[in-house]
Amino acid sequence: MNGPLRTARDFLVSLKLTVVLLALGLILVFAATLDQVNLGIWGIQEKWFRTFVVVQPMGAGGTSVPIFPGGYAIGGLLLLNLIASHFYRFAFTWRKAGIQFTHLGVILLLIGELLSGLWQEDYRMQLHEGETKNFSEHHLNNELAIIDTTNPAHDEVVAIPEEIIARKEAIQHAKLPFRIVIKEYFPNSDLAMRDAGSTRPPQATMGIGMSVAATSQPLTYKQNERNMPAASVELVGTSGSIGTWLVSTSFSPHSRAPFLQAPQAFTHEGRTYRIALRWTRSYKPFSFQLLKVTHDVYPGTDTPKNFSSRLLLKTPDGREDREVLIYMNNPLRYGGYTFYQHQMDSAQGMTGLQAVKNPSWLLPYVACTMMTFGLLWQFMIHLAGFIERRRAAAAANP
Amino acid sequence: MSPRVPFALAAAMLLGACSKPEITTYRAPKDPEPAAKAGAPHAHAGAAPAAAPAAPATGGTMAATPVATASGPGLAWSAPASWTVKPASSMRRGSYTIKGDGGEADMSITAFPGDVGGDLANVNRWRGQIGLAPIAPGELAATVQRLERNGLKMGAVDLGGATGPNPQRTLAAIVPHGGSSWFFKLTGPDALVAKEKAAFMAFLDTIKPTAP
Repeated sequence: MNGPLRTARDFLVSLKLTVVLLALGLILVFAATLDQVNLGIWGIQEKWFRTFVVVQPMGAGGTSVPIFPGGYAIGGLLLLNLIASHFYRFAFTWRKAGIQFTHLGVILLLIGELLSGLWQEDYRMQLHEGETKNFSEHHLNNELAIIDTTNPAHDEVVAIPEEIIARKEAIQHAKLPFRIVIKEYFPNSDLAMRDAGSTRPPQATMGIGMSVAATSQPLTYKQNERNMPAASVELVGTSGSIGTWLVSTSFSPHSRAPFLQAPQAFTHEGRTYRIALRWTRSYKPFSFQLLKVTHDVYPGTDTPKNFSSRLLLKTPDGREDREVLIYMNNPLRYGGYTFYQHQMDSAQGMTGLQAVKNPSWLLPYVACTMMTFGLLWQFMIHLAGFIERRRAAAAANP
Repeated sequence: MSPRVPFALAAAMLLGACSKPEITTYRAPKDPEPAAKAGAPHAHAGAAPAAAPAAPATGGTMAATPVATASGPGLAWSAPASWTVKPASSMRRGSYTIKGDGGEADMSITAFPGDVGGDLANVNRWRGQIGLAPIAPGELAATVQRLERNGLKMGAVDLGGATGPNPQRTLAAIVPHGGSSWFFKLTGPDALVAKEKAAFMAFLDTIKPTAP
């Protein structure tokens, strides 16, 4: 092994590196916890953990300055350090098997967290009694959906992630006979009725944006709030502008104001479309119909005892057509998803389910089992040795 | 295990962590009709069913989409004889023109479910419309005159002081009633609206709930 490779290997298998990384990890967790006051749980995950470098806006201009290695950097190096040390330093013996098993558990735990970060899908499904849905909606992400509704049997959807909208660049897609021009974009917005006397031009020439105005709002990171982005979107066909629409996630069936619930539709070249900025959808090969929500309280009090949702689970092929009950601490696992009872408004007959898909959900359990087994094994080895020594000492000194 | 495995794993991690957002296309089943919308949350029960616009199932532009106004308990008023009634629009409960030396002022009466963002948001929106800077939450109390007329609580504002070649002024009152917010708003040339203030305040005295 030549010089640089040897240096790299020595660096990777170094115990000093382990200690430094663990210390950095402690600081990272501490700093991120403090920052949770500003950014909330989702914000700090993105800023501190699911990144290689933590950047902080500094100065009046808000220039992003790297301030600390991120979770991916520290966790990734720790993972490499553990694996490299494992294969370089440790030789398998039954006496050390427990330590090796514990380390393997830690490695699996790190990999599990990485895979969860990359693969986990966390969606929500809101249903009112009697309503049927075959899709869930992302709890953070949004998309601009252009939906061709011409075919009476199904819709053709072009879904553009909000990150692309935020670039405010013209978007051309092979499935769309027009270009999408983002004229305005607000990551979080508030809506107000436009007054007839307003001197400001409307943000739209078509649809509800002619009556409603969106204004930019500071981003929210509170756990019980959601950013409601809005955009002014012009569609330009081959013969010129088709129109400009104001779209916002506030214009949705979730809206409390009835007039914001109507979809915005238009026709172009004989086809009918809808345009909407909406919570990112994930369609399922099955549907739920909410039959009944139940909110039990302890007798004589308002203290919640139980929230439960009785649903009809159906698949198009008819294989599933059964009632299921989801209640607190009793999720439904189906189709690779776990549906938890998440929200409830029994007065309005509404339930909110959390739909989580995490192909690596078993890894933390396996990792913890391995670590428990490894530590137990090591403890038992030492205990057996200790008992053996005591017996030997007792035999030597009767 | 080959010693290259950790590095391959690291490379996979790096690649996996750098996924880019992409446009997706897919065929989706039609959204089910919102059959249960009667049970959906609304600002207040009285306003929703009558106000909900029919969703255009196919085609057509949204230009004519009606905007729902509050349809709960109503308010009645008596406008001064000098105010000229204008044709009401889908959004307006009442609409008047006031003509004077300085031009023409517009009086609108609208009602929407809920608090429509609250007093501060509405006041700042109106200020923005006539070129005034927004006020801070602490300044709201000094800006809004609290009144009570015919059992109705009102918040009245007089927004003036705009500069420019054609300074505008707004007199407005927010009247929460039956889970909705009613807006009485007079906007126009500064001098004309200032002259009309006494009539506007007298007009507020006439606002009262309609008989159930």
